[in-house]
Amino acid sequence: MRRSGNTYDVIVIGAGHNGLVAAARLARSGRRVLVLEASDSIGGAAATSEIVPGYVGPAVAHLIEGFPKRIERGLKLGRHGLRYAARDVPTVILNPEGEHLQLPRNRKEFARFSKILPRDADAYRDRVALLRSQAALIEPMLGELPPDMQDVAAMRRFLRRIVWRTAFSGRAMLEGLMQTLPESIGDRLDGEFESPLLKGALAFDATLGSAEGPYAPGTSFRAVWREALRMQGQGLRQFEGGTGALCDALASVVNSQGGDIRLNTPVERILVEGESVAGVELADGMAMHAPLVLSAINPRATLIGLMGAEKLETQQAMELCHAPRPGSTAKLNLALERAPVFPRLAAEHYGARLLVVPALQALDDAANACREGRFSCEPALEIHVPSIADRTLAPEGQHILSVIVHYVPYEAEGGWTMKREAFVQKIVRTIAAFAPGIEDAMIAGEILTPPDIERKYGLAAGDWHQGDLRLDRLLGFRPSPSFGRYRTPVAGLYLCGAGSHPGGGVTGLPGWLAAEAAMHPEGSRK
Amino acid sequence: MTPDSLPKQDDEQAVPRPEITDPADERAPVDPALFEQVAAEPPFTRAVTATPLHLETAGESHTNRWVTWNGYTVPEVLSDLTDEYRALRGSAVLMDVSPLVKYRIAGRDALAYLERLAAQPVAPLAAGHAQHVIFCEGGGFVLGDGMLFRLADDEYRLVTEETHLAWLADSAEGFRVRVEDVSATLGVLSLQGPLSCFMLTEIGVDEAAALEPGAARWVSIGGMPVYLSRTGATGDLGYELWCDAEDAPHVWRAVMSTGQPFGLRPAGFALRELARLEAGHPRAGHDYLSAFAAIEPRDMLPPAAIWPDFSIAASKGLFNGGAALRAAAHIAPSRRVVRLAVEGLEPVRFAAVSLGGKVAGIATSTGFSPALGANIALAILDTGALAPAGLAVLAERRDGLSIVETRLPARILAEPAFSHPRRMMVPAPSRA
Ligand SMILES: Cc1cc2nc3c(=O)[nH]c(=O)nc-3n(C[C@H](O)[C@H](O)[C@H](O)COP(=O)(O)OP(=O)(O)OC[C@H]3O[C@@H](n4cnc5c(N)ncnc54)[C@H](O)[C@@H]3O)c2cc1C
Repeated sequence: MRRSGNTYDVIVIGAGHNGLVAAARLARSGRRVLVLEASDSIGGAAATSEIVPGYVGPAVAHLIEGFPKRIERGLKLGRHGLRYAARDVPTVILNPEGEHLQLPRNRKEFARFSKILPRDADAYRDRVALLRSQAALIEPMLGELPPDMQDVAAMRRFLRRIVWRTAFSGRAMLEGLMQTLPESIGDRLDGEFESPLLKGALAFDATLGSAEGPYAPGTSFRAVWREALRMQGQGLRQFEGGTGALCDALASVVNSQGGDIRLNTPVERILVEGESVAGVELADGMAMHAPLVLSAINPRATLIGLMGAEKLETQQAMELCHAPRPGSTAKLNLALERAPVFPRLAAEHYGARLLVVPALQALDDAANACREGRFSCEPALEIHVPSIADRTLAPEGQHILSVIVHYVPYEAEGGWTMKREAFVQKIVRTIAAFAPGIEDAMIAGEILTPPDIERKYGLAAGDWHQGDLRLDRLLGFRPSPSFGRYRTPVAGLYLCGAGSHPGGGVTGLPGWLAAEAAMHPEGSRK
Repeated sequence: MTPDSLPKQDDEQAVPRPEITDPADERAPVDPALFEQVAAEPPFTRAVTATPLHLETAGESHTNRWVTWNGYTVPEVLSDLTDEYRALRGSAVLMDVSPLVKYRIAGRDALAYLERLAAQPVAPLAAGHAQHVIFCEGGGFVLGDGMLFRLADDEYRLVTEETHLAWLADSAEGFRVRVEDVSATLGVLSLQGPLSCFMLTEIGVDEAAALEPGAARWVSIGGMPVYLSRTGATGDLGYELWCDAEDAPHVWRAVMSTGQPFGLRPAGFALRELARLEAGHPRAGHDYLSAFAAIEPRDMLPPAAIWPDFSIAASKGLFNGGAALRAAAHIAPSRRVVRLAVEGLEPVRFAAVSLGGKVAGIATSTGFSPALGANIALAILDTGALAPAGLAVLAERRDGLSIVETRLPARILAEPAFSHPRRMMVPAPSRA
């Protein structure tokens, strides 16, 4: 192939972490890779950003739980500077009244847990065991190319494996999983636990990243899915230098292999010749050529926005016609001039994942309010103080606070310009209830509503998963049946973002598997 | 029932017209008239959905025989089918074909949209021309066919036998195109027969003769703007006149009064069917089913099963069903729509077609062709039964009050029962 300045082996659209993982894997296989990023920095929703000079932190995603060791090893990310500031980060549920509640990771912690919640302790142990065993059934599927639904032999192998695995773990297991599929997490928790705090936290974890309330059908399975993703990863972790450090390491891999990453270079069009992809066209009309194009942006934006519906048949285009459900998660980043003080919080828990959750009913109300463009008066938060474990993020003795807010509408009633201030006030006041005086310690802050996240970090509609994790949109059906397995009807064009299997979160898996599919095109369709 | 006995329409209760959608918005797909509230029918009455030409055709009706076509009430026969046929083949007839379904497709991406929709190339179609198009679903099975007119660079009109709005609107996803059902806004007159061009010239439309088959242009008839196209499915010279619904009756009267002295007759739906059958054109929903309407999978047909000379043009890019059709290109369809002629000199009724005593297919349109002097049919046959000989139909003949069943030999017609070279002549013969 002609190796002129505009011709590459692979073009990757979007330098979010998935695009970079795909680019790094393909670059390491010896291909000449070009990554094109619209914004002025890499990372997408997995970036590190500066709140005010001197204070940096994870812009959107802050804790990592599903990033597999084999990607880290396979790309030799350690050699490219990836370090962990914290491993096995604990989760603590903040209790407005009594003792804060740590979700136990070992026997000792379990003893403490059962002292606080004696009546729920056994049920909790059972629940964790059940969740793990159910997640173990589906976990291997998350780390591999989903089977080709049209390939009968592959489908049969796939089903036989599931059946084997299930049969191996017993009939009760299978029944349990079948029961879990349609069930709501709220109903399940109501049947198993008493503590509203514990129920709220477990429902929060199952629904975070979607707009569905705890009583929505299918939410129980989301807990299983998340647990399975967690098993792919290496436990709850924090990168040194914020989440963006991962992307920096990935970019370093790409560069060291002779790949190019261009910022401020939005792709305007995907070029197709005949039935194969030919490259991309940039905003200034310049064409970049490559026989292989991977897009890490939302599937609809890729196929209809950049490529054009005329390259798809009606039925295929219709599968993408539903605009992504707008995101329902917001982010608040604060710079603090001194350490926050959480009364009753043990010193070793300051670096923990801190949950502020109302009872199930209030959580459900929050989901309903969100659907109507309002935000709840009892917000549900995931708080992290990354500067506890990572001293590089803020000046000595000072800190940053990273807060994920659940159930925040994409379009606020009355408009975000009007509501933004009131929203921030409400979140800060909620945090202040647990960390008095935090208002006075604030020197700067940044609020990212779902539309802000879309605008600043390129996550379509601000949605965690680039398209909701619905039961009918998983595995080879993600993002939709015609585009499962990362492939598209156009030869050489692949999807590699969170919209594809296994979905959102900082896992790198969509990018990793898409690169695999792109490297072995003949094996993908027989 | 006298008009007085009908409940009075209360103007105060009339629902306000929904706002007309912004014409600049190319993505608003639906004709707002579709959502207009219709006053509920009083019990035991049936409203007649009239075409813009209803009063004209009703005035000509000597038989009071009506049929429903696409929900509209249109005359079946106005005077006598034989007389109407004689006028069609000897002079000309004027028919109300307003119930045809008409879509306006306009916008920057209209061409790209239609290129993806239709199985034939549409880019070569120039403004002021029409072509036959077939459209399929993803499996390569036919949904419908119709005539596509290019009115302007990015404005088209698709005329079909059945409604396809849902499919057209779904297909618009991702295109800057606006799809509207404009059926109710247009009156359509079909002027068909050897003297049709002559009559148009007599009215003062001198442009008619120069019009090539499939071409169209704006003309003026009786002071009314009319979009005149040299189209029609009678196997003979003919024109269709597209005009505003309000103008349609005036155009009808202008054409009738000029043509009558030369033998022009109004005709009904039965003649349209007979002429179409003689010309050998299968009708959607009648001779084949839309793939979405077919309950039995075997009733879903690929284009080549209905139009034997269909093939995918080398220049054709991606289109709906294209991938499936290309993948199955080497597989012959298992059933085919064919033209049949049945022996016997009097009109008979028949349906089942057999080969060697075994059922091999079914006749979907039947009629007695005066041109051929035989019963003819469009039939759908198993490919295995496309034998040169041995086909037969089970015919019913009325004899007084009894019905006589006979087995009549049938054969496949290679050519339509009626097709006159005049149809393709340019300039069209314009002398009486
Ligand atoms: C509030 C919030 C909190 C979250 N917290 C966590 C968390 O704690 N832990 C976790 O694991 N996950 C979290 N997630 C989910 C996680 O951030 C995302 O699922 C993940 O980052 C998606 O990565 P991606 O590479 O697939 O897409 P993105 O990160 O969206 O990358 C897409 C990239 O493409 C670029 N782009 C867009 N259009 C173009 C174009 N035309 N041309 C060129 N480039 C373009 C964008 O600028 C962007 O850089 C969170 C999500 C949200 C919304």
